[in-house]
Formats: sequence, C-alpha cells, structure tokens
Amino acid sequence: MQLQRALVTGASSGIGRAIAVELAARGTDLVLVARSEARLKELGDELAGRHGIDVEVLPADLTLPDDLGRVEQRIADQPVVDGVVNNAGWGPYGNLAGSDAATEADCVQLNVTALTRLSQVAAQTFNARRHGAILNVSSLSAFQPFPGHATYAATKAFVNSLTESLHEELLGTGVHVTALCPGYTRTEFHDRADWDTGGVPSAAWGRAEDVARAGVDGVLANRAIVIPGAANRALGNLSRVLPSTVSRKVTKLLATRGDRH
Amino acid sequence: MSKYRRALVTGASSGIGTEIAREYAKRGVDVVLVARREDRLKVLADELTDEFDVDAEVFVADLTTEEGRLVTEQRLVAEAKPVDVLVNNAGMVVDEELADSDPEVRIMEVELNVVAVTRLATCAASTFKARGRGGILNVSSVTAFWPVPGNATYAAGKAFVLSLSESLHVEMEGTGVSVTAVCPGFTRTEIFDRGGVDVSNVPSPMWLDAHDVARAAVDGLESNDAVVTPGSLWQAMRMASRLTPPPLARRMTPAIKRLSGQ
Repeated sequence: MQLQRALVTGASSGIGRAIAVELAARGTDLVLVARSEARLKELGDELAGRHGIDVEVLPADLTLPDDLGRVEQRIADQPVVDGVVNNAGWGPYGNLAGSDAATEADCVQLNVTALTRLSQVAAQTFNARRHGAILNVSSLSAFQPFPGHATYAATKAFVNSLTESLHEELLGTGVHVTALCPGYTRTEFHDRADWDTGGVPSAAWGRAEDVARAGVDGVLANRAIVIPGAANRALGNLSRVLPSTVSRKVTKLLATRGDRH
Repeated sequence: MSKYRRALVTGASSGIGTEIAREYAKRGVDVVLVARREDRLKVLADELTDEFDVDAEVFVADLTTEEGRLVTEQRLVAEAKPVDVLVNNAGMVVDEELADSDPEVRIMEVELNVVAVTRLATCAASTFKARGRGGILNVSSVTAFWPVPGNATYAAGKAFVLSLSESLHVEMEGTGVSVTAVCPGFTRTEIFDRGGVDVSNVPSPMWLDAHDVARAAVDGLESNDAVVTPGSLWQAMRMASRLTPPPLARRMTPAIKRLSGQ
C-alpha cells in the first residue's frame, strides 16, 4: 500500500511529529493538525523543502466541537486524504480524588471522543473508496489499569478495543486499521501533563522516530496492534496473561516510584 | 445488610439499574433513582417505598447531555441527604459497523457510557475520600475483555470503564472508599431491543438474570472486590480471553453470532 496524503493530529511535537517526518520521507503528502499554527508551518516548510511533498496546515483544538468538525470535513474533502493518524492525546497526572470532573472530561474528549469521530469519518470515507489507512496512537497503558493515570489508561484501553474491532470490521475492504502502543517515549508529553517520570529506568525509554517507523510499517502491513520494542512487547503480552490483581499492583508501584514531589 | 445508607443509581428505570436499586432497598439503603423517564422512576420509587420502607428519591436527568451530568454531579456531592454509594449503571449500545453508523448516535453512546461515568466517578472519589467512606459501583460488561466488531464503541466504552474502575480501586485503597466493576454477560434487559441487537439465537446457558447480576454486584462492593464477573460460564470465558491470541479474541463474538445462526 502507498499512501498519497495523510492527515496527522498532534503533529507539532513528539510521536505525531515523528510520524509526519516518517511519512514525508516516504513521499506521502501531509495535512498537519495541531493547535499551534506557527509550529505546524515551521514543520510543514521543513518537510516540503526536504522531501518535495505538498503540506497543508490545519490548526485546530480537537476538544472544541467546531474545530473537530473542520478536521472531520477535511478528511472527507478534496484533495483526497487516504491516511488518518489519530495521534493527539493528553492525560492528567494524579489520583481521581482531588482532580475535578472537567479536567478528566477534557482528557476523554480528546483521547476518546475526537478519536472516535475522526475514525468514523475515515472508516466511512475510505470504505467507500476501498482504500485507506487509519493509525490510532494508543499506549502500553491500554493493557492494564494504571493508578495515578486512571483516565488516561482507560482512554487507551478504549482506543485499543475500538481499533481492534474496526480492524476486523474493515478486513478485506482495502482499508487498513492499526493501533500503535508505545511505552515510555522521549517527547514533551510527560512535561506538559506534569507527569513525574523520575522512577522510570532509562532503559525503558524509546525514541519517537523508532516508534513512528514501527507504526507506519505496521499500518501499511495492516497489523491490528503494534508494540514497538522487544521489552515493551514482552510487557504488553505479560499484562494480558497476568491476573489483573497482579498487574494493578505493578503499575501502582511504577506510578508511586515516579511520585517524588 | 449493607454498610451504606443512600445509593444513587443511574439508569434506574430499567434492567440491571432497577435491580440494583431494588437490591439496595431490600437491604434498607435509601435510593436516589436517576434516569430520563420520570413516570417509570415514580412507579419504581413507590414500589420500593411501600415494599421496603426506604426513602426513594426520583431524580430526572439525561446523562447524555452536559446539563444532565452537571445536575446529577451536584446531587451526588450534596451534603443534605448525603449519597454514599454511586452506581454508574446507565448505558446504551449501538449495533452497527462504525463505517455505516450515524455519528451523532455514536457520540451519544460515548457521552453516556464514558463521559458520564468518568465525571461522576471523579466527583464521588473526591467527596467520599474526604468523608472517609463510600462506595463506587461501575457497571461494565464482559465485552470489556475482548473487542466486538459490530459493537466497536460499546465494547471500547466498557473496556474504558473496567480500566478506570480498576485503577480507581487501587487509588482508593486505605481511604475507606470501595470501588467495584461488575462485568455481566448477556443479561435479560431492554438494552438489546433499544439498541436493535438481535439476540434471539444466543444459547440459553449464556443468559443471566438481572436480579442475580444486581445481587452479585452489590455483594462485590460490600466486600470491595475490584472486579465481579457474574456466572461461572462468563468467569471461565474471562480467564480464557487472557490466554487467547488477540486475532482469535477479536473474532470470538462474530463467531458466536454465526454459530447461533445469525
């Protein structure tokens, strides 16, 4: 499968940016979505100059219904988009008790509601053309509960389940659907959400460009779930098999080891 | 009987929600009945008051809307007639492939099954922790354990609820607040009719009775079990799902549907 033009959300930094770079290097035109227009333009100019591709910039805050609507429209619109990368995501740090409903709901709005809407439009549009690819960026935290990051981990469990179901629904239609489940990856993500990751050993950290390559390779090959890195793959599979009473304790330990305020 | 005094039950007008409200009333716990249909809530409230001599409050709210969620959150944390159990039960199912479905109905499903649950659980967690006591009972489903093509957002929403509930269970350890997720299999309720799900061919051993599910759920919260899966058949399927390779697990529900002649 060759992708002509991919729309990438959360493209201004981290894994989203790395996926945009990876696609550009393979000659795929881009529609870059994020809140910061300046950062998108800078990246767009860089990639257009280096790879001779066409880059559109679409500034949008996916937690706002009007902005989300514009991105949905763009997926169904011309020039044809045949790839959607649902990467934008965010999660609060800390226990639910002491948080407030609006903060947790913002996380759900971005990670679940926006992703569901964009996946739906893409599924409909691509299915009609019998061609396309949907890459949903999930997380290793989809595989077990994560005390201290309860809502975030739950949103990622949602993304994995949704993506796997959609993968099956669209088998044989020419539409590829993949969930990418990275472990800890060096990006701005943890700083922005004030996540303290001091307790995470350095060997556990992956590079955004390796994650991006695994994700793009995975969706082109139509693999349902991609876990980049051998250690993370082992962890992901272990969490599935372990009783949840055990995996809950392990993630709690990891969360509290990082809790050094 | 019960260590709790007043339970707020969402989706109380039918199915598992009605049975959980009845189970609490039977144990002498006052109830706040939340749903959209006032007439049905009134009938239930009268019945529970007459039969079990508890205070049954009718609270009309549509949890698919921001407004409905906000008023319910206010009732949940109110100091007058304080609620000490939250039952996150309200839910709906859309039975269509994602590519074919109406986006507005899909989002309504997410607003109810995911957003409302998260908001109410967050409010209850803070309030109950500050008081040093309380219980949160989240109604998930066996579809949390494996993806379900054809009901993609429903199964994903239930995976969300199970994950959130298990994390919250650990976060609340030692605070006096219990947190339980109940994961029923096929249960005889209105949810299938309303979602247009054809379940006529589901074999009878797979069916659960809503009253049995409610009792297992309420017992589970009393003893602070993290996850309750009612019925030994479904418990076995839950264990089996852990050892099933993902490609097979994804195809399990479509296979059951095909085998049962749909």
